[in-house]
Amino acid sequence: MTDSDQLDAAFSALANPTRRAILAHLLKGEATVNALAEPFEMSLPAISKHIRVLEEAGLISRSRDAQFRPCRLNAAPLAAVAQWTEAYRPIWEARFDVMEQVMQAMKDKRDE
Amino acid sequence: MNDQPAWVKIEREFDAPIDVVWEMWTDPELFKQWYGPMGMHVPTAEMDVVVGGTRKICMEMSAPDRKMTMWFTGVYKEVSRPARLVYTESMCDAEGHILSPQSMGMPEGHPDVTEVIVELREDKGKTIMTMVHVGAPEGTAGGGGWRQAFDKLAALLTG
Repeated sequence: MTDSDQLDAAFSALANPTRRAILAHLLKGEATVNALAEPFEMSLPAISKHIRVLEEAGLISRSRDAQFRPCRLNAAPLAAVAQWTEAYRPIWEARFDVMEQVMQAMKDKRDE
Repeated sequence: MNDQPAWVKIEREFDAPIDVVWEMWTDPELFKQWYGPMGMHVPTAEMDVVVGGTRKICMEMSAPDRKMTMWFTGVYKEVSRPARLVYTESMCDAEGHILSPQSMGMPEGHPDVTEVIVELREDKGKTIMTMVHVGAPEGTAGGGGWRQAFDKLAALLTG
C-alpha cells in the first residue's frame, strides 16, 4: 500500500462507530478480540471483521505468537492523518495579520 | 507521535466592527486583499454567498522563473450574517473540476475536502473571530461520522 492508500484506509476505518469504540478501548492497553467484543451486541465474527479492517488500515497490530493474539493500537497512521493541519496554521495566522492591516487601513481612510 | 489535532483552530480579536469582519470574508474584493499572504496573491475570487452557493478562488505565487497557480472551489453550507459562515474547500482546476490534493503536490494525509467554520461575535466594539479549518465536513464520506472520527483522532493523539 502507498502512503496515500494507507491514509484512505485509515480515514474509512475511522468513519465507523464500532471501530472507533474498539480504538478507544485499545487506548487503555492491548486487549484480546473476546475482550473487545464484550461491550457490543454483535457476533464474534462481526467484531473480528471490524478488527481486520483496522488491522489492514494499519491502525492496530496483533501479536503473532501469543495464544490469544491481543490487539494493540498503532498510532503512526493516526499521526500522519493529523499532520496536514500543521502546514495550514502559519498560513492562516499570516492571512489574519494581513486582514487586520487591511481593516486598519480602511479605518484610517475613513478617519481622514 | 505528535499531539496536534486534525484541525486548525485560531481565535483572533480585531479592533473592528463585526460587519466589517464579515465583509472581509464575503466581499470578493476585500477577501482578495488578505487571503494570499507570503508571496501569494488572489487574482480571482468568485463567491455566491448563499447556502448552497459555490465559491472559486485562484491563488497565484510568482517565482523568479515561473508562476504557480492553484484553484480552490467549495460550497457555502451556512450563511448567518454576521455571526457564522461555513464553507467547504477542495483543490480544483480552472474550470472548477475537483483534483486530489496529492496530484497537486500536497503532502500525504491532506484530505480531499476541508471545511472552514468562521464564528464572529462583538464585544465592546471589538470583534472576536474563531476560525476552525477541519479535515472533512460532516455529512459527506463516512455518513456524517467524520466529525466524531476527528474527535476520536484528537483523543488518540493527545491521550
